[in-house]
Amino acid sequence: MTEALLEQVINGLMMGSIYVLVALGLVLIYGVMHVVNFAHGVLFTLGGYLGHFFFSQCWDNYWVATLLSMLSVGLVGYALERGVFRPLSGNLRNQVIASLGLILAFENAVIALWGPNALQWKVASTEQLVSLGELRFSVHHLGIIALTMAMITALGLFLKHTRFGTAIRATSQNQEAALVVGIPVQRVQWSTFALGSALAALGGCLVGPLFLVFPQMGDVPLVKGLAGILLGGMGSVPGAVVGGLILGVTESVSTLFLPTDYRDSIAFMVMVGILLFRPQGLWGQRVRGEE
Amino acid sequence: MKSIPSLLGAALLALCTLAPVAQAQNKVQIGIVTALTGPMAAPGVFQMNGFKLAAEELNAGGGITVAGRKYSVELKVYDTRANPSEGATAMQRLATVDKVPVVLGELSSGVAAAIAPIAQDYSLPFILTVPTGPNLTEQSNPYLFRVNANNQQLNVALAEFLSKQGWSPISFIAWNNDAGRGGVNGIKELLPAAKDGYVGYFNVGEVDFSSHIANVRNSKSQAVMLFMDEEPGSLAIKQIRDAGLKLNLVGTLAMGSDRFLKRLDAQKLDGMLQYNAFPPNADVPRIKKFSQLYKAKFGEEAHGFSAQSYDGLMVAVAAMQAAGTVSDGKAIRDALTKLNHAGVIGNIKFDAKGQANPQVYVTQWCANGSRRILYPDSAKAGCGAG
Repeated sequence: MTEALLEQVINGLMMGSIYVLVALGLVLIYGVMHVVNFAHGVLFTLGGYLGHFFFSQCWDNYWVATLLSMLSVGLVGYALERGVFRPLSGNLRNQVIASLGLILAFENAVIALWGPNALQWKVASTEQLVSLGELRFSVHHLGIIALTMAMITALGLFLKHTRFGTAIRATSQNQEAALVVGIPVQRVQWSTFALGSALAALGGCLVGPLFLVFPQMGDVPLVKGLAGILLGGMGSVPGAVVGGLILGVTESVSTLFLPTDYRDSIAFMVMVGILLFRPQGLWGQRVRGEE
Repeated sequence: MKSIPSLLGAALLALCTLAPVAQAQNKVQIGIVTALTGPMAAPGVFQMNGFKLAAEELNAGGGITVAGRKYSVELKVYDTRANPSEGATAMQRLATVDKVPVVLGELSSGVAAAIAPIAQDYSLPFILTVPTGPNLTEQSNPYLFRVNANNQQLNVALAEFLSKQGWSPISFIAWNNDAGRGGVNGIKELLPAAKDGYVGYFNVGEVDFSSHIANVRNSKSQAVMLFMDEEPGSLAIKQIRDAGLKLNLVGTLAMGSDRFLKRLDAQKLDGMLQYNAFPPNADVPRIKKFSQLYKAKFGEEAHGFSAQSYDGLMVAVAAMQAAGTVSDGKAIRDALTKLNHAGVIGNIKFDAKGQANPQVYVTQWCANGSRRILYPDSAKAGCGAG
């Protein structure tokens, strides 16, 4: 049983890491623009497809393909901010509707370009195995956890110790005040949107080789990422990290005690349970006027 | 007025020249319902290949002779997209507009269930060549026939084989739908001696089997049965092997083809068992002949769905010949009930419910990516024969 528990904790941390990557993008964008981008899941999918494309068509190198995919999806994110979300700024309802419309547009574009069938992405790290006693994991599996942790640390340092990171934090705290002290808010907004999109693409590129690349691959990470930021506290970066990991580990450990069909409902029950006692989420702060 | 004789002459001349052509153009249209697009398009290709191969073979031999007249065989194909309402429209059209004497095909048990009553309404024989839902032939529909083995027949064969292995406990990972849940319950009933391992169901689109695998490991099972098709099957097998589980893998017929091998590698499949309706490489003359024919035409390994569909069309033709009609559905139905046809998949004889009883096999992957036949004992053969 301890073995199974360990196995499920590691599996949970892996899926949790993917949720964290999605949640971080969502939370950063929400912070500086105050909009929940529901199209974040399809950017995840697009990232997976582009990574597969660069890998199979251009360079037979996983890291190059992943970087290129992040860059491309970052550009797509930039275009979305300039082309869709900026013109609609000040009208939350229209922004939400637009982001829902983007889901349809992107999902069908992916199907039109690559077909409806799942693609296999064969990467060497999914074939190399590491043994932990009786248990065995692929290098890729453990790599996802390590890389996400590294990414989180880098992002934390960037936000805390660089000028631009400080500008992002300032903008998400108070846009008008940031503008007053001379922070280029618009530049902060598009670059944050691009950064968040690139993180989603990274998620798609990490999970694609482990499973499959298919048009709906971003659906579950989006929902779990959203749940993660609600759990951690809307707008809080450490909250998104902890929220995503708690969700991943809880749902995967729960399957040892309850039928696997309940996996998703357990994750959301935990979320509802925590929000009952801390409506602002684990790390969230009550903001006047935003109740 | 002068022109009348010349017109008559011209008309007669035209008739004379047309006559032999008209004779050769006698054709019989046979209705086909299958999925050419949509989620079942890939297996739909195998089904269509079987029909095409049979029709071409018949026409290359000068067509078929029914009640002393020669006919060429033409397939009237409708795409049901694995959708019951599309299927119903197609069946309705085949019965009322195209007025075909017999309809063959379908892949999805759901579509077949929806359209079989329409065939019955129009006294139109409907021969299934792929759907495996056992209840299809339990609806007292005298116009419905099935060439292929149903799930119950497949399960019985597999259970007979598994009971001899003595594996216990046995775990299951299955689709969270009728086929998956029905399959698990069916096998469990047939294997009372095996202790229950873990039983887990997954939904369409789920790609991460890690939770199931941890539970299977935890149950100390000696075997795990995977009730799913190609795509999830390849993911589950890869994840089970990567997780280092040392147990016997048992799969469905979707996991016993060269197509499936392309998704994984031979090393991961080595030792895996599956029930199989058609071992394309078996050393049996009828199977060998079909496999060669198929490979020459389509450039790939023959598939069970093709063999079943090929046989289906041949059975339909044999019934028309026995009934001496290419239009009377009732007479063709009566002929089908009495038919005994030596097909590629074996002898085809329908029971009182319209179900044939073809041989079911259990095959196993070898380390070199070929397959061996383990069941039935009479067909046992080494690597490369499955």
